[in-house]
Amino acid sequence: MNAILVGVVLVNIILALLFSLGAAPILVWIERRVAGFIQDRLGPNRCHINGIRLGGLIQSFADMLKLVFKEDFEPKSIKESFFFSLAPVIVFSSAFLTFMVMPFADDLKIGDQIFMMQGLPIDLGILWFLAFAGLSVYGIMLGGWASNNKYSLLGAIRAGAQVISYEAAMGLSLVSILITYGSIHLGDMVAYQGTLLFGFIPAWGILMQPLAAIIFIVTAFAEANRTPFDLAEGESELVGGFHTEYSAMRFGLFFVGEYVAMSASSALIVTLFLGGYHLPWLNTQVLKENMTGVIAFLVVVIPLVSFLFARWIGKNNQWIDKENIRNRESKILTKGLLLINIVIISLLVFLLWIGLEETGTNIATAIIQIVTFAIKLLLMNFVFVWVRWTLPRFRYDQLQDLGWKVLIPLSIANIFVTATVVVVLGV
Amino acid sequence: MLDIVFFLLAFFAIAGAIGMILFHQPVHSALSLILTIIALAGLFALLSASFLFMVQIIVYAGAIITLLIFIIMFLNVKESNLPKEPHKYPAMVVGFVCLIPFNILVLRAFYKMPSSQNIPLETDFGSIKTLGWELFNQWLLPFELISILLLVALIGAVVFGRKDEV
Repeated sequence: MNAILVGVVLVNIILALLFSLGAAPILVWIERRVAGFIQDRLGPNRCHINGIRLGGLIQSFADMLKLVFKEDFEPKSIKESFFFSLAPVIVFSSAFLTFMVMPFADDLKIGDQIFMMQGLPIDLGILWFLAFAGLSVYGIMLGGWASNNKYSLLGAIRAGAQVISYEAAMGLSLVSILITYGSIHLGDMVAYQGTLLFGFIPAWGILMQPLAAIIFIVTAFAEANRTPFDLAEGESELVGGFHTEYSAMRFGLFFVGEYVAMSASSALIVTLFLGGYHLPWLNTQVLKENMTGVIAFLVVVIPLVSFLFARWIGKNNQWIDKENIRNRESKILTKGLLLINIVIISLLVFLLWIGLEETGTNIATAIIQIVTFAIKLLLMNFVFVWVRWTLPRFRYDQLQDLGWKVLIPLSIANIFVTATVVVVLGV
Repeated sequence: MLDIVFFLLAFFAIAGAIGMILFHQPVHSALSLILTIIALAGLFALLSASFLFMVQIIVYAGAIITLLIFIIMFLNVKESNLPKEPHKYPAMVVGFVCLIPFNILVLRAFYKMPSSQNIPLETDFGSIKTLGWELFNQWLLPFELISILLLVALIGAVVFGRKDEV
């Protein structure tokens, strides 16, 4: 046990927490604002702490406080009180565990130690994700069953049937990806995607396996229980589905668990199909070789982007009433941006000035890759939100037809084609 | 440390198995079975059989028991409709006695084993690659036969489940 080891492990755990749990308030905010814009309204934007609104992000924290302080009510009709309480815990913890194998950056080499940059340093990758994503349905089924009413039970049964039919297609679509990449470890898969196809196209999964990508994304939506596959909740038919009887933090765990599961699905989609932590054309090796150029580029670009962003804030972030405390926000944000810029740029210039050694280059690469991963993750989460507020819900028989009659045959055909190509080309 | 983990997992595995038999309500029995299966998966992980560990969770806990619970919930059996089991405990005692010879056999085999202590495993022991290599080189025929058996069972389920076209 040395200091570097402890430090890197701590950083990894904190990153995993940030990307999953820490992302939940941000995702709720994105969801509500994007829903607002899609429905031609503004969405929550008034809640503030001393004038700071952050575009409505503060509302998420207010909501969280509300959930914590609500009365945790349990109806008398519930006989299985233990399972009733256990259900949200299962949903939350299995969603959280699925996130633990997502690589945030390439293996980090400090001195002669090599670290896997993921929550838990294991190379089980996809199998781990499948295992714990499959367990989360127990929470939903148990919750619906223990609630002891017809609507909740219907929601639970729907969730169970849905998971059984979609997990088969998901597993089969993953098989063709495994054949292509030749490994179950997500780090190896991302390393493969850093190479170039025909010398100029990045070999991202979505280009190598477009059909598997589509099938996997569809099944990931079903697995995360989100519209168009949210029949387990179906608020217009089943009141609230499996969580009808839940309130306060027991509901909160279901709620946060759903967002963590969505974030984990996005992370896996990014890792499998969108190049993971790689910037296009800049895999780890190229990035390390051209680190000086990259840092010089950042020194120029970061102030430019910040300047444009500050102007955008000044133009758009105004409150009609001039005396209102919320009008101070733009100035504070601009100052904050300036401060961040000064810190980052002085750091980068200092790095350029003293010159990067091997360890420094490795750490800088890891940081750039983590930021890339975070941006890709947010964009993929945005797609999840976008789809939710654009597409209508499937009818139940349509959902089962799509799973069994379309996705499973397609994914089996895809396995045959992929295997044939791999054998013929002898890769 | 590993001993404590082993004892905990073994305890949960056995407790789940006992619960599976003792509980009256079918959902409780099925849930106890999950406990046993997950604890067994943990035991596989302790033996560094990582592929078996994951597959145990994916296939048994993730798919088969989900299906089982789904069917139990679908039938939605009321407490009053559950069968009465008057001879449950005597039957269990008889079963226990019947199993004693088998247990003695297993224990004898266990103690007859050469005391193989601390044989270092290969680094890729139990990983997906070595397992697949072994399976498709040494055990290809049994593997394919089992696949055909599963396929037959699958087709049988479809044939029996189909409505009669009259």
